Amino acid sequence: MALDAFRIRVPEAAREFSRLIRGWRENFAGARAGARGDRGFITPENFQEELIVLGLSGRKFGAEDYVSALSDFLGISISVHVIPDAGYPELARRLALSGRLGEIRYSDELGLAAIFVPESLPPLVFDLTVFHELGHLAAGDLLAVEGSGEAAALDRELSAGMFPTTSVRQGKRLARGLPFAVETAREQEANLRASYAFIAGCLGGENPYVHGMYEVL
Amino acid sequence: MSAAQQQALVLGFICLSAAFMLTAVLALTRVSKFGIFAVANFLLGAALFGTQVVFGFSGWRSEILAASVVELPAVFLISWVCLAQVGGGPNRPSSSPSEPVVRRPWLRGVLGWAPVALLVSWAFAVLVGLAWPSPAMQPYASAPVQFVLFKWPISISQTVYAGLAAAVFAMAAMSRSSAPVLRLRNGAFSISMVSLALVGGESALIAGVRWWVAGQRRREIIDSLLVFETIIAVVCFAFLVFGLTLRYTPVVAAAVLRKVHTGWLPARERLESSVWQAVAGGRTRGVARVTYRVEEAARLAELPQSDTERAVAAIQLIAVMRASSTKGGGVTPDAARELYDMEKEILRDDVLGPKIQAFLRRRADTRNSQSLYAAPLEDALKAALDLTDTHKGEADARARPLWFHLVAVASADAGLIDKGDLWKRFGNGSESSAATEVYRTAKGRLRSQVFGGP
Repeated sequence: MALDAFRIRVPEAAREFSRLIRGWRENFAGARAGARGDRGFITPENFQEELIVLGLSGRKFGAEDYVSALSDFLGISISVHVIPDAGYPELARRLALSGRLGEIRYSDELGLAAIFVPESLPPLVFDLTVFHELGHLAAGDLLAVEGSGEAAALDRELSAGMFPTTSVRQGKRLARGLPFAVETAREQEANLRASYAFIAGCLGGENPYVHGMYEVL
Repeated sequence: MSAAQQQALVLGFICLSAAFMLTAVLALTRVSKFGIFAVANFLLGAALFGTQVVFGFSGWRSEILAASVVELPAVFLISWVCLAQVGGGPNRPSSSPSEPVVRRPWLRGVLGWAPVALLVSWAFAVLVGLAWPSPAMQPYASAPVQFVLFKWPISISQTVYAGLAAAVFAMAAMSRSSAPVLRLRNGAFSISMVSLALVGGESALIAGVRWWVAGQRRREIIDSLLVFETIIAVVCFAFLVFGLTLRYTPVVAAAVLRKVHTGWLPARERLESSVWQAVAGGRTRGVARVTYRVEEAARLAELPQSDTERAVAAIQLIAVMRASSTKGGGVTPDAARELYDMEKEILRDDVLGPKIQAFLRRRADTRNSQSLYAAPLEDALKAALDLTDTHKGEADARARPLWFHLVAVASADAGLIDKGDLWKRFGNGSESSAATEVYRTAKGRLRSQVFGGP
């Protein structure tokens, strides 16, 4: 019995110690910010950190506020172009049949990002689509260097939901971690960012993750 | 008993009391990793001070060793707190730093180095002390300059890092976006850390006084400083324990939010976008036509707007579910049922439900249309699932509202559900007859409007 407890507790303690060292290394050595490696998806706590940087933490906000804050932070112009398809059924039909809810276009040189969304989208889908596209900007996905030699690693999902990251071009991004090398992982993370942003915007000061940032010990 | 042993006895007693108090607090409130660490650390402190009391230690090198070892609990405590503030400690659920650290990125590097800086200072002091021994355990004795060199690296590094930690806690306590209980908690921790910084400063001051001041004056100053140290140590432990008794309970449970982020919201988005793609893309033939008829019928029957919205949403959902079974894609009835279960659970939440509904309603109003999507999907989904569930062959005895029967009649009219099956399950009743009648009237009126023209 005692031996069993020992067998269970020792690996747990080792894991805890390794987590402590990793956490310390990430914070003091800045391993997370610069070096390439593998990482998991963004957590609500990490997203809350980004909201603090944007000045939106604890506030109720919508897609427009997020656009404005992200634009200020990244130092680029972000515009959301609403395609007026509501009065044109044929246009709406073509957009709906295209299977795309929204799209982002980004220019490094001009410092411009443009998001295109159909007007006829339901409000929830509209907001989540805009947040999704902004999530790509925040993560630095549009700065990712494609095909930088890790083709073999691209389809490799590591254990415990870890994915390889890729290097980025010169440019500012909100996320601390590097963008994923795998396209599906980027899309999945943009969806997560959209969900986090939507709920954080709805709840404002009642979002528990806002207060979690003050709960240190 | 020497003066040093007396002071060690007092500090050991404070450590032991703090350990007991903290154990009681943890038993009554919540066991946290920091709480367990703090209890163990206080017990270690009590044991180290107790060793000093019992053995006394004679010889300068022994005194150096004894004096440096008792500093370790403070080194561990400050290191843990600093690491927790940058999100590196093992007691936080994520590796996110605290709010004031996120706002000031330079703090992340400075606080992250705390364990290294404190341990290096401590090791440096021990080496200096062993190389050039001094009377470390004789508080009133005149000390050579090497005692200052031994004492200051430890004391000053502790003062600096405890002071920084106190400042971060103070900033968190002053933040208006924090919950009141957390402001109080961080305020208590800030006072505790300020006290710890003062203990370090006072320790450095005693070393200076022992080196610089001579005669009776030295004894008087050191006496006052030792009393001050005792008071400050009590304040430090008391506020630390008080802070740990305060607990924040979020208004929305994290488990519910996790379900919203990864389950409900993506599922609802998938459903709404499928409806949009199916309806706007013209994949659901006849749906637009029967939608107009249902709206007209609802107007004739003087149904409230919310019922009309439910009816229209239900028809579109049935169309999407039917399209998914015949053409693939879209939303399957199973996925819709899963969403319905989540919708029921999440919208039942006292805080989350109304907030999400209000937000959707506001967004719909802002965009001056689409109020359909702001209505709770729960009823519409239930209606759509009931009407498309072909496993239920028997008659459904439950009373249904008029809007439900309108959906049934319209869906059958559009060929989305089987008329015979519908009649068998929902056809007996006055509401059903009324719905059939009003739908027929609405259909006739719309047809005559089309033929009549302006």
